[in-house]
Amino acid sequence: MTTTPQESREVALRVADIRYAYGKTVAVDGVSFDVRPGEIFGLLGPNGAGKTTTISIVSGILPPASGQALIFGQDASGGSGRARARMGVVPQDIALYEELSAAENLRFWGRLYGLSGGALEDAVRRALDLVGLADRAQARVKTYSGGLKRRLNLAAGLVHNPDLLLLDEPTVGIDPQARLRILDVVRDQARSGRAVLYTSHYLEEAEQICGRLAIIDHGRVLAAGTVAELRRLVGEGPVVRIRGAIDGDGLKALAARCPGVSFLSADGDSASFAARDPDACSGLVRELFRSGLKLDDLRVQEPNLQSVFLKLTGRELRD
Amino acid sequence: MGTLATLVRKDLRRRLVDPSKLLMNLAIPLVMAGMMALAFGGRGDNQRTPVLHLVVVNQDEGPIGRALGNAQQNPEAAGRMEIRQAKSRGEGLTMLREEEAAALILIPKDFSADLLDGKDVELEVVKNPAASIMPVIAQQGVEVAALYISIGARLLDGRGPRIAELFEGKGWDDPQAIAALVTELYDKVRGIDAFLIPPLIEVKTGEREAGKEADKNRPNFMIWMFPGVMIMGLLFTANTQMRDLLREGEIGTLRRQLTAPLGAVKVLIAKIVSVAVVVAIATVLLLLVGRWAFGVGWGPILPLAAASAVIVLAATGFAALVFSLVRTERQGDAFGGVLVMLMSLLGGTFFPPQVVPSWMQGISRLTLTYWSHGVLRDLAAGGGWEKIQGELSILLIIGLTLTLAGVLALRRRHLRGAL
Repeated sequence: MTTTPQESREVALRVADIRYAYGKTVAVDGVSFDVRPGEIFGLLGPNGAGKTTTISIVSGILPPASGQALIFGQDASGGSGRARARMGVVPQDIALYEELSAAENLRFWGRLYGLSGGALEDAVRRALDLVGLADRAQARVKTYSGGLKRRLNLAAGLVHNPDLLLLDEPTVGIDPQARLRILDVVRDQARSGRAVLYTSHYLEEAEQICGRLAIIDHGRVLAAGTVAELRRLVGEGPVVRIRGAIDGDGLKALAARCPGVSFLSADGDSASFAARDPDACSGLVRELFRSGLKLDDLRVQEPNLQSVFLKLTGRELRD
Repeated sequence: MGTLATLVRKDLRRRLVDPSKLLMNLAIPLVMAGMMALAFGGRGDNQRTPVLHLVVVNQDEGPIGRALGNAQQNPEAAGRMEIRQAKSRGEGLTMLREEEAAALILIPKDFSADLLDGKDVELEVVKNPAASIMPVIAQQGVEVAALYISIGARLLDGRGPRIAELFEGKGWDDPQAIAALVTELYDKVRGIDAFLIPPLIEVKTGEREAGKEADKNRPNFMIWMFPGVMIMGLLFTANTQMRDLLREGEIGTLRRQLTAPLGAVKVLIAKIVSVAVVVAIATVLLLLVGRWAFGVGWGPILPLAAASAVIVLAATGFAALVFSLVRTERQGDAFGGVLVMLMSLLGGTFFPPQVVPSWMQGISRLTLTYWSHGVLRDLAAGGGWEKIQGELSILLIIGLTLTLAGVLALRRRHLRGAL
């Protein structure tokens, strides 16, 4: 895909058909998407799907084997100082120096982006306020809890006031309260006009904050769009999920006998169906009981990203 | 330049927060040097001179064999060597294996008779490499003795049998014959005294009780030992500090730095510079400890500063290369540790490289330890620019090559996404 500078200027981040392999293992295989200023774009997929490799290419750590990532029209992989200076990266690891205090960490990361003197001190103070750590600024990071470290990790990506934020699973392994705090900060950043690329394998989280998202698996984008657009991939009607002693082929045949019902997936002892409307759903449930299957559980749910993922990949994306 | 300083300052700040690892690194060579000073007489003041333990297998029944075998009866040698007699070569080798001696000297059958007859003779020396520099001293001693005996044998020029008779108590009843023999020998000696006097080898005998002036002139064993231990300590320090590169890779701070507008080479060079700064601090501390605790004088300041800078470069480059080849900190510790020990052994930390076989000496010359030891030992022995410039140039080439190879290997690793 070729991109003109004019087109590139309209988006904060343009990822065009990038590919990368670790030896013979293909990690990213032709991924493309755009992120616009003020938007939170989610990259949703299981562990090992290629999300972190995509972030690494976008942030310039890895050069793509082919394709390109443009940040405000400039190539990210060429070591362009201007492109990188406009970008803030929050890695999945808590990439902080535990021996140093929170303020020392932020000063260090701020200096790497050219801040100094009063501007640096102001930026450090602002970033600490943003994540609610001003009162613990002088404490060494090793004394922080996991949630506090995650918040500081986010602050280190924000300290130089970037126009594009790359957040790689920023809420992994923390308590719900700390997660809500981080999600609030991310929303505020988007509201203030920053473009945000947000990777996660938490479906609910992505549904909550992302305006648009792409579902990625085995290095490929399976579907992209708004949450509503993605939901429509499995229909507007309810989704029926069952658990028990099941037979995939038998269930496919059963779904075919029910009007308005489509078989979504069978994975181990569970399976899912999409129903066009409540009547189709009732027909499916009746047919399931009539078939004599030994079911341990049966749930009727609104369609969500989990069911989209099931439909696209044939398996569940477990949190 | 500003961001490079920021990166280096960050590393130094982190080390200052927890200097225990650095102090441990510095303590190791100091403890080793201290132990060796205790074992071998160290600085010299109020210390016992190391005693040379020898095993002699004397198969000669003549006077020269007896003289060599009983050399410790010489008052000058009495306090410096201890000679144990063995009946056979096998028994002598057993004693050597059991580390009862630094070397075995075998005086063959009819050694005196053959020598006095003007025939070629051999003395066999078997060295015990486990006894540090002592075997070399033994070998040198035997070579000096052989030289003197050879000169004596040539002076006799066919008069050996007559002298041998005198040693056996025969012929003393003919004063005229004895006077003629003495006159002939005197004329011989006069004929070559231009070559022998003043003697090429002068042995000075000092009295222990002669005071501090005499102690000052005594050789300081630590001049030889401390530089080796110091270099080993610096290599371990460089390795320990360079571990931080992989540590930063593991915790993710390195990748985060690589996303900043710096360039990977600057990030890697900053890490190498920060390691070099710590190694330089360690070098200065060890030089001071060597001077004040072990009495090692390091000579003029400028050659010493240049030598220190090149040694720091070589040690840092070595560590950069080691950690560009390993995946984990533990691998780096193991691989780097083995390499440091190997280079220390080959390069002459514990015994002179001259005691190993010649093919191994060739390998020694490929190690940075060999050249580092040479430079520091020459400085400690009073040498200046002229003495060290050759060794220093080679060490500089080694240091630059290692550093460049380390940076390139790390850069390649970064491009493969393995940092």
